[in-house]
Amino acid sequence: MVEIFAEAVAPCATRTAKRSTFTPPPGGFYPRNGYTRHRMTSFQSTLGEGEEAIAEELAASQREISIAEFFEKNKHMLGFDSGARGMVTAVKEAVDNALDATEEAGILPDIYVEIEEVGDYYRLVVEDNGPGITKEQVPKVFGKLLYGSRFHSREQSRGQQGIGISAAVLYSQLTSGTPAKITSRTKGSADARYFELTIDTDTNEPVIQDEGSTTWDRSQGTRIELEMEANMRARSQLHDYIEHTAIVNPHARIELREPNDHFKFERAEGAELPAETEEIRPHPHGVELGAVIKMLNATDSHSVRGFLQEEFTRVGAKTADSIIDAFRDRYFGREMVWPVDSTVWPPNAEAGEEDATGADAVRAAVTDAVSNKSGDDTAAFADAVVDELGSAASYSELEAAVAAAAEDVSVETGTTFGETVRENAVEAVWEVLSATRGDDLYSLVDAATSVQKDDATVAGIARRIGEKFDEDTPRDRLTRPDLRQFVARAAETTEDVDDVTVGETSRENITDEIWDAMALVTDDVPLTREVADERNAARDLLDAMTAVDVMAPPTNCLAPITPDLIEAGLKKEVDAEFYAAATRDAEVSGGDPFVVEAGIAYGGEIPADGTADVMRFANRVPLVYQRGACATTQTIKQIGWRNYGLDQPGGSGLPNGPCVILVHVASTNVPFTSESKDALANVPEIEDEIELAVREAARELKSYLNKKRSMEKRREKQNVIADILPKMATKVSEMTEREALNVEDSLARIMNNVLVEADVADGALSIVVENHDDVNANPEVTAILSDEPSDLSAGSVVEMDGEWFVKWEPSVSGGDEAELTANVPDGASCELSVKGIEAEKLTVNQ
Amino acid sequence: MSSETTDAEARERLIDLAAEFYDQFEGGDIPHLEVPTRSKSNIEYDEDADVWVYGDRKSTRSANSVRGARKLLKAVYTMEFLAQQLEEGRSSTLRELYYLSESWDEKEAKFGTQSESDKLIEDLEIVSGVKREDLHMRPEESGAKIMGPLRIREQTRRGDREIHCQEDVGQGGYQIPNNPDTIEFLENDADFVLCVETGGMRDRLVENGFDEEHDAIVVHLGGQPARATRRITKRLHDELGLPVTVFTDGDPWSYRIYGSVAYGSIKSAHLSKYLATPQADFIGIQPEDIVEYDLPTDPLSDSDVNALESELEDPRFQSDYWTEQIELQLDIGKKAEQQALASRGLDFVTDTYLPERLDAMGVL
Repeated sequence: MVEIFAEAVAPCATRTAKRSTFTPPPGGFYPRNGYTRHRMTSFQSTLGEGEEAIAEELAASQREISIAEFFEKNKHMLGFDSGARGMVTAVKEAVDNALDATEEAGILPDIYVEIEEVGDYYRLVVEDNGPGITKEQVPKVFGKLLYGSRFHSREQSRGQQGIGISAAVLYSQLTSGTPAKITSRTKGSADARYFELTIDTDTNEPVIQDEGSTTWDRSQGTRIELEMEANMRARSQLHDYIEHTAIVNPHARIELREPNDHFKFERAEGAELPAETEEIRPHPHGVELGAVIKMLNATDSHSVRGFLQEEFTRVGAKTADSIIDAFRDRYFGREMVWPVDSTVWPPNAEAGEEDATGADAVRAAVTDAVSNKSGDDTAAFADAVVDELGSAASYSELEAAVAAAAEDVSVETGTTFGETVRENAVEAVWEVLSATRGDDLYSLVDAATSVQKDDATVAGIARRIGEKFDEDTPRDRLTRPDLRQFVARAAETTEDVDDVTVGETSRENITDEIWDAMALVTDDVPLTREVADERNAARDLLDAMTAVDVMAPPTNCLAPITPDLIEAGLKKEVDAEFYAAATRDAEVSGGDPFVVEAGIAYGGEIPADGTADVMRFANRVPLVYQRGACATTQTIKQIGWRNYGLDQPGGSGLPNGPCVILVHVASTNVPFTSESKDALANVPEIEDEIELAVREAARELKSYLNKKRSMEKRREKQNVIADILPKMATKVSEMTEREALNVEDSLARIMNNVLVEADVADGALSIVVENHDDVNANPEVTAILSDEPSDLSAGSVVEMDGEWFVKWEPSVSGGDEAELTANVPDGASCELSVKGIEAEKLTVNQ
Repeated sequence: MSSETTDAEARERLIDLAAEFYDQFEGGDIPHLEVPTRSKSNIEYDEDADVWVYGDRKSTRSANSVRGARKLLKAVYTMEFLAQQLEEGRSSTLRELYYLSESWDEKEAKFGTQSESDKLIEDLEIVSGVKREDLHMRPEESGAKIMGPLRIREQTRRGDREIHCQEDVGQGGYQIPNNPDTIEFLENDADFVLCVETGGMRDRLVENGFDEEHDAIVVHLGGQPARATRRITKRLHDELGLPVTVFTDGDPWSYRIYGSVAYGSIKSAHLSKYLATPQADFIGIQPEDIVEYDLPTDPLSDSDVNALESELEDPRFQSDYWTEQIELQLDIGKKAEQQALASRGLDFVTDTYLPERLDAMGVL
């Protein structure tokens, strides 16, 4: 909730509803008044002496305003614009709170909403069976804006959706002048507490007008009563809001009583509380710079490594190390590595005139640098350095090599090679190593550039890059951007002087090649508080976090409704003949996990003309306004519904027909298009998931419609033939002057039917099931007999009220038949009832 | 198929058919009717009878589809009507049957087109084994006109008539009735029978006295010959022992006319033994005549070519003689009418062409 407000005040913060990174400066908000400064400046320039007085005057009139005061003047931003909308928002806040509170306490919600006309105003009452609020908390919860427990929790919650109930209190106070009346009772209390309160808009503090204890028929719960200016033009939105809330919260029972109507939305049978969600820590890919700095300041960890593992989700030791390496690259850079075998002694000797090359040159350098040590010791040292150095080294590696060599030699010879000696040695060796930069770089540049560049060009580029190193880069340590610069400048010079092109791709390739050859720096990374203080370091850390692959965040912070409950919810409020639902697996967007679910209801009592009804939800809260701007609606419009059996003129747009489409997006951070949180923003990952979820449900619709159509065809065929056949039979029996015929059997055979026939004759009962279809049939046959049967060959019999019910469930394969026989007294009658076979495929003869 | 079926017998066959349906219903079976497939692909040559009859392929009308059920209903209603008609000793035309169905109460039993009812009568004819004529159903087209030295006796509704087909008839000749089995041959002085396709040619022959000169019985086919015509031709051959010749235009449709006289038609192949005269010979116009006599011609149209090619596939025309002639015609790409012989003079046909051809065929 904090961030909506923050967005309203500081437009430089992002407009999406990400967790706020904007911290209110201490002391409160200033009005958006850059204009004051400009004015002061122009005054300053034009006036001479009087300027100070003006400035003071202006300064005196500046003051802080409270949140409440801001809200007072900007109600529309938070859903309280018109009288119609205001009522819906107030109901929404209260109902959301009630649902959240009861769920958290593990209670199945039972919520009562009443709206009554009271003179010029409307009175809103919302009651719940939740755990109640303590008497200390009531004033703050209802009387202080932006107060609540949900702001910082990173789990799916309705609370993310709104500013809070206190805004409704303020609205009611502003429009009707009367205080809010709150009754609450916690479990086990003898009495309920009663409060009448308002909000002091200057201080954003509750003002208790009245307080006391009172009797109440609920043993626990909360009741809020608000009087406000409103109008019932939003009746249908209000009704939709409650009805839709009931659909996606099938575990709740909600009652709505308003001036013209009374609705009860019952709990779905067997619906339980949604799964408990757990709060998760932020994901490295989902935080912004300000948040990182804040976290660095707040953490207990001293080391960055510890900070990463403690404060973020999905960061273990290995990931932390990867991030830190990436951080090192950005913060420190890497060090260039120079090969040993290209060195010569003395450094910069002309070709052919060197005294030693390669390792020998290194030895020579070391020997030259060391004084005051015996020849043998020095030689030993030099050898040791060469050994430690290996084939190539960066400056740091050189330092380490020298140190190691000194240690070894100290142990061996007993002579100490102290700091100064080591430093000199390092310097000397470095001189020879780095003397041949240009030549050394040649092979890298050559590998990176195409065959078309001739040797001279390559050599030229390599040399020029080498020259760059000399100037401002101690240790030949560079960040990648710096390296890129070097390459760019070298390339430019080459282009000018040698008249060849070195394009962007080449430069990029050269940079890559060199960067890959450079060595990671193993310096200690700074501590967390140091990084917090230095913005560039924090920036580098954030970049490193983003660059490293991190596993998607866990999804136990989400509680999807699940397909069964979506269907149950739809079933109880929408009278349809077909229901389908689908829940996708959780995905990630911008570091926040989300889950998309879809549901479809079709046919039945849903009105057939007009477009399909789209119900949109975010975190189990209905989205009622701004339907056209919502990503959900847009995604649904783009689906080709004809493919799924619905009429869609023009091939795009909402489909026509008796259909309800439900979409629910649950996330720790649902992205909206504006601060009023009515419509989902167009985030590609979420849109893709919406489409996939809807298509999953639509596929079930398609097969249902296909089946329905083929059943209709069957029925038609059956009707025509059932009409014709008896006429034919009558004709032939007339012509042949034989008895009238029964055509049922022939009919059954024609329709690939299952024929069930009962025959009672001479004390014998015979029930036959003939399966003329080619698939198995498993009918449930019930024969109601007027007399008791004996010697049943199959099935079971039960007596009830003087009648005998024979129950038989044969399994008959295609083309086969099954028979039940029994003995019955003469004159017994038999009535058949068959279940388990569709009416169109069943023929019953009795 | 017997040549005579009494009314009582015919009626009984219809009722037997109804009884078959009855039994199917009683047994809980799906009512159905099987008839031989009446198409080119189901024509077989019957060696003994020397004619073409239906093969073994069958089409089934079954009540297990909406269409089939409707057909069977119509069949049954029609059967009842025919039985009634026979009992009353009345008759009707095929077209009258179609209109009659409109008066039936049952909507589903009404015929949509006459071709539907015609086909149904054919079905019933085959399945019941009773000729259409014996069911008292008449077609529209009338039978042939005969001119020649032949005395006959016809049984009519109004009493018996004795007629000599040259002396007792006018210029048009004797018109045979729908049921030629009512004719009795009394005496004749004929040597052979000449069947002629067109009226114009027939008149030419009569005017030139061809029938008197050569003692020929001239039978005017009138295009595709009616059943009665084919029947009388067969009877002339079988009962009087007269050779039969056929003289038509020189195009594929005319060859089919010859075919139906000699081989049997596809539509009534079940009656071939009753209607076809396999010994009938083809005079012309042959494609080789077109070449030899250099007759005025018309080019073959696309449909003519298609018909010729279709005849190459027709089992009835797959003899060496026909294959040669048809391929010749496809080569020259021309057709000629029999009356084109007039280009050689009005008397050419009776003075030269026919005598030459008949002589070559061994008839004269």
